[in-house]
Amino acid sequence: MKALTANRLIDGEVVFWTGETWSERFAAARLFDDESAAEAAEAHAKSNVTELIEPYLIDVSAVDGGVAPISYRERLRALGPTNKLEHGKQAAGGADIAVLAAAHGAARSKGRVDLIRRK
Amino acid sequence: MPKLIRWSNGEATWVEDPFTDVDDDELVPQGEVIVSLARFQREGAELLASGRGVGVRLGSDEAPETLVLDLPRIPVLALSFPKFRDGRSYSAARVARDRLGYRGEIRAVGEVFLEMAPQLSRCGFDAFAPTDNSTPQQWARSITRFRHVYQRASDEREPAFVERMGD
Amino acid sequence: MYRYDDIDREILADRVAEFREQCARRLAGDITEEQFKPLRLKNGLYLQLHAYMLRVAIPYGVLDSAKLRRLAHVARTYDRGYGHFTTRTNLQLHWIKLRDAADILESLAEVGLHAIQTSGNCIRNLTADPHAGATADEVDDPRVWAEVIRQWSTFHPEFSYLPRKFKIAVTGSPTDRAAIRVYDIGLRLLRDDDGALSFQVLAGGGLGRSPHLGSVIRDRLPAKHLLSYLQAILRVYNRAGRRDNPNKARIKILVAALGVAEFSRQVEEEWELTDQASIDLPDTELARIRADFQPAAMAVLPPVSAAFEAAKAADPALARFARNNVTAHKQPGYGLVNVSLKAIGETPGDCSADQMDAVADLAERYSLDEVRVTYEQNLLLPHVKLDDVAAVHAGLVAAGLATPNIGLISDIIACPGLDYCALANARAIPIAQDIARRFADPALAEKIGQLNIKISGCINACGHHHVGHIGILGVDKKGEEFYQLTLGGAADDDAALGQALGPALSADRVAPAIDDLVAAYLRERRAGERFIDTFRRTGLAPFKEAVYAEAH
Repeated sequence: MKALTANRLIDGEVVFWTGETWSERFAAARLFDDESAAEAAEAHAKSNVTELIEPYLIDVSAVDGGVAPISYRERLRALGPTNKLEHGKQAAGGADIAVLAAAHGAARSKGRVDLIRRK
Repeated sequence: MPKLIRWSNGEATWVEDPFTDVDDDELVPQGEVIVSLARFQREGAELLASGRGVGVRLGSDEAPETLVLDLPRIPVLALSFPKFRDGRSYSAARVARDRLGYRGEIRAVGEVFLEMAPQLSRCGFDAFAPTDNSTPQQWARSITRFRHVYQRASDEREPAFVERMGD
Repeated sequence: MYRYDDIDREILADRVAEFREQCARRLAGDITEEQFKPLRLKNGLYLQLHAYMLRVAIPYGVLDSAKLRRLAHVARTYDRGYGHFTTRTNLQLHWIKLRDAADILESLAEVGLHAIQTSGNCIRNLTADPHAGATADEVDDPRVWAEVIRQWSTFHPEFSYLPRKFKIAVTGSPTDRAAIRVYDIGLRLLRDDDGALSFQVLAGGGLGRSPHLGSVIRDRLPAKHLLSYLQAILRVYNRAGRRDNPNKARIKILVAALGVAEFSRQVEEEWELTDQASIDLPDTELARIRADFQPAAMAVLPPVSAAFEAAKAADPALARFARNNVTAHKQPGYGLVNVSLKAIGETPGDCSADQMDAVADLAERYSLDEVRVTYEQNLLLPHVKLDDVAAVHAGLVAAGLATPNIGLISDIIACPGLDYCALANARAIPIAQDIARRFADPALAEKIGQLNIKISGCINACGHHHVGHIGILGVDKKGEEFYQLTLGGAADDDAALGQALGPALSADRVAPAIDDLVAAYLRERRAGERFIDTFRRTGLAPFKEAVYAEAH
């Protein structure tokens, strides 16, 4: 399963393709099961040179409560920095963010101590 | 004929380019031509003997010092930017101007666009074949934008420390 | 410090206008992102993980209160109210929008600040000894020469598209506090027997993917020829540096490939052909720049401040602060006061806008209006009367900036890492926070003594892990964050690259490993040995065993 992401040119914000627009929320991302549909969307995004920088496809998978990017780098892009939880998309809180944040633990090996200290 | 932007006497203008770029495996057409360094080394004497203008195109990894004896007879040096990030031709232009005393046209070819104008002009380039849609007016504005420069280069501009001495 | 004149200001203003137009051309689609990227990088604007990052230049780490207050203002107005000081003594703002970038540069330009050439394949910000102008052991103030080089290298048209970035460091002291051996060019000021100034020139140092220590390519260069000689080095590099592979494009690769002797010969040959007189600065200009660095008038004071001694006796916290954070000044009765940006559990190098204002006030009032940034990501008030240290300390306490840990285990260098940086493989900040928390007890930290831990989130080594007494490198192992430890690196006169300790550790094993290393050190050490001294005597063995022995 894939999703399409990019950075918005005007402000650098991480955005996700919903199928119609570019959203700041990963939870709104259109999920692609079909490789060619994903690539078509990516190609279309790449032609949008005045709005976006470097669109690319990311791998996502089902997790508790929803869907999350597989790689922790992409989860960080979808959430924000772990040293300042009041910055980035995570500051909005809510169920979407909770799903992504919990995915940190889910994608790690068993017994791993969670480095993210939530005060 | 293709057009070139020429920078001279503080002005940038479109000029018709009388020179034809000739690849190594092409027949040399009539009229003024620009050939690669390798071709010039093989056929240059013969081409020049026909009385036409023969310019030389240098790759970014080729040195103008190689042409030191021929430079007086070469009307155009075309220095290449295969990628705009490849900055070797800035040094080549300066060597040609400052060290070898080259007085002919130094033109920038390859991936050339407006934002390179200040560096190109200061390094001694006076003709540009831009691949974006920029105009001579834009080039002139870009080249003259900075009222001061900190260091001497291969143009005529006085560096800031000379300006300061005049105070 | 150097004062901008109208020429400097107009250069900045023209640059801002140029950048505004470049942004407009990008937004209109007249140039591609590929073409725009090096242009915005040359104005210090990166696209990072969450937003644009702006890297503001702090030339050779020197600021005054006006500049620092403007940085605070920009951080508040355009960012999230804080900034991050880097190992290159620049300030990074991590939440910038492209639409604001030209306005930010305009605001910075009003106080003589900019982001020129803080990124891109060009000559970057100069760094110099942070004790310049305040230390008795310097031959000459390296900042004078750093400013000379800054001007010459700014918008140098021949060197705007080098094979890779280019970094120069200058020291004026026989004790190297500028880490000149790990720079593309390192310069050490020397005085000849006849009193003339010259430079020892090193080239080919650098960290990153393939760390090298620089080699001397010229023992003595008359100081007046500095710029023409640099011109020769840069031209040799521009023409001969590799362009086929960005990982092999630094000058260190060229110097290693040619060998020091041949590289040096090529530079000399180029220099002989150079029109030196057209490049080297006239004496009048050198004198003009030098005049700005004349020290402000300092009071004539006794070397010991009775008031300060009494205050320390009455306040153990002040005494501890003095022991660790205050260094001797060349002027009797003065000290250099280090301001730690490594509060326990905080992000190393981060400084809030309020904290910047607090330091600006202290600098203006107590440090002849000067404050510096060190490559250890801390700040420094260079000219504080010992009589005033107690008041400065109180001000720092109020601002949360009085951590007495300079050079100690919790004074950790850490790059922003994967929390912010698009290049990173792993996070660095939580590792630093973990370690600092473990060693939060100031008495324990002092007992351990000098121990430089340096953490990089990737092989680009912005955290200088290669030259940490303990180096920590974040790596990506099958999609998980792992950390490779090294021991024995050093950035000073005994410069050395760290040796790998063993297999990479998972994130949760790093802080316990530091515990083990410290325990091994405390067991093994002899009287007077710092961690690095013990390591140099024992080698890796006891440390490797402490971390990797089966008992764990």
